[in-house]
Amino acid sequence: MQLLIEQILNGLAMGSIYAIITLGLALVYGVMRILHVAHASVYTFGAYAGVFIFQATGSLALAFLGSMLLCAILGVLIERLVYFPLLKFPPYVPLIASIAVMLTIEELCRLIAGPQILTFSAKLPFPDLDVAGVHLSSTLIAIYVITAAILLLLWYLINRTELGLAMRATSQDMAIAGAQGINSHYIVSLTFVIGSAIAAIGGILVGIYYNQVYPTMGAVPAYKTLALIVVGGMGSVAGAVIAALMLGLAETLLIGYLNVPFPRDALAFVAMIGVLVWRSEGLLGSR
Amino acid sequence: MLLEVENLTVSYGDILAVRNLSFVLDQGELVSIVGANGAGKTSILNAVMGIEPSKSGKILFNGEDITRLPVHERARRGIRVVPERSRVFPRLSVYENIITGVYRLGKKVAVQTRLEWLYGIFPRLEERSGQLASTLSGGEQQQLAIARALISDPRLLLVDEVSMGLMPKLVDQVFALLRQLNKEFGLTILLVEQNAMASLKISDRGYVMEVGTCAFEGAAADLIEHPKVKEAYLG
Repeated sequence: MQLLIEQILNGLAMGSIYAIITLGLALVYGVMRILHVAHASVYTFGAYAGVFIFQATGSLALAFLGSMLLCAILGVLIERLVYFPLLKFPPYVPLIASIAVMLTIEELCRLIAGPQILTFSAKLPFPDLDVAGVHLSSTLIAIYVITAAILLLLWYLINRTELGLAMRATSQDMAIAGAQGINSHYIVSLTFVIGSAIAAIGGILVGIYYNQVYPTMGAVPAYKTLALIVVGGMGSVAGAVIAALMLGLAETLLIGYLNVPFPRDALAFVAMIGVLVWRSEGLLGSR
Repeated sequence: MLLEVENLTVSYGDILAVRNLSFVLDQGELVSIVGANGAGKTSILNAVMGIEPSKSGKILFNGEDITRLPVHERARRGIRVVPERSRVFPRLSVYENIITGVYRLGKKVAVQTRLEWLYGIFPRLEERSGQLASTLSGGEQQQLAIARALISDPRLLLVDEVSMGLMPKLVDQVFALLRQLNKEFGLTILLVEQNAMASLKISDRGYVMEVGTCAFEGAAADLIEHPKVKEAYLG
């Protein structure tokens, strides 16, 4: 029983991390209809930026803020220099460009930081908790609290502010949003800022959780998050979050707890195939 | 002149949609551009609004050259469009659809007063203000597209094929409303229509399009009587 609860807690943490990384992808797909595969390399870059700033300054707050800022800049550069000029081409063109960007950033991280695994031994400023014999590490609590905070803030921004309304209008009809006085290119760039800054948080949390930062840490998340936005319903932020939490739980429980003999990283793709066969609009998608 | 379009050319790749078209619109006028499908009417509106780039030519709004301005800058200067097939934001509520028009204009426009005025004209929209736009009927979506364009108190309203896909009774209502907006509230309107008779009836002047260029122009009353117009467009 205790093991089950601990596994559920781990699964939720895993799902939270998937959710944080998938958010940017779902947001970008929503406004631009581009599969932003390179988002996972922004996450890797964020982890590196975080670990270097932390080692240089010893401040975790600075590591988060600096990494979020750098990732936001990187995200906007990708949007302005790569995606925007390619918008007039069929979707596979920006997709291929995105894969190229991902490999480039990954290799740049390897060139600058070296191929070895860096450790990220920082302690997040949250307490360890023991509730009814179940141990909750400060890292787990940090992941829950930070994820919940991000989701709440993002929900508020999208659904309760003028800017969020402009984002939703832009994602539904970019030309008409423009004709209503909304600077839709600015909204698109801002979406990259938000998604990339959140990816930075994800990179740092994962780096601390596993105490590892390495150039290819974005490879598996790149594919999994793609599967997750399909399962959640293309462009549906809420659907992507639910799919991410479910995947985290399913991976941990089926494979970690029930010891089902199945490759863990394949589960997301089985779910994706299932969705494509039986419910192509995804969990919360439209059309 | 509120709007001056000089030698406008719009093309899609190699296909010319509009060729060397010039026309003007004075403050307070209601002007129609009529013509058959494929005559390039929608391209004219999209070029004026800035949704599509023009290949050559000049567009002046209120004396200012807006030819290179992006669409949202033109919208903020007071040009708004009721697009073909209404194109409401399907997953925004009726209310949210309307207030997209005052994005960052909340301090310049008396939003609440405008909203009450619009709800007075379109009581159905007030009843359904919380509903998603995708749940409205075609006629209601058309009303919503008009309300959404009017909330910001625009200086020029572009109306694209408003009669398309509407029942004849609704078409009459919409044209009566456009006429009222023009006559009572002095709104300048540029109408692009396949339904030449209905739109010329409410217009001051008209331009008759033939494959990308203007074949005739004149007072709307004269155009309705023009034998070639009658033969070609009015049946």
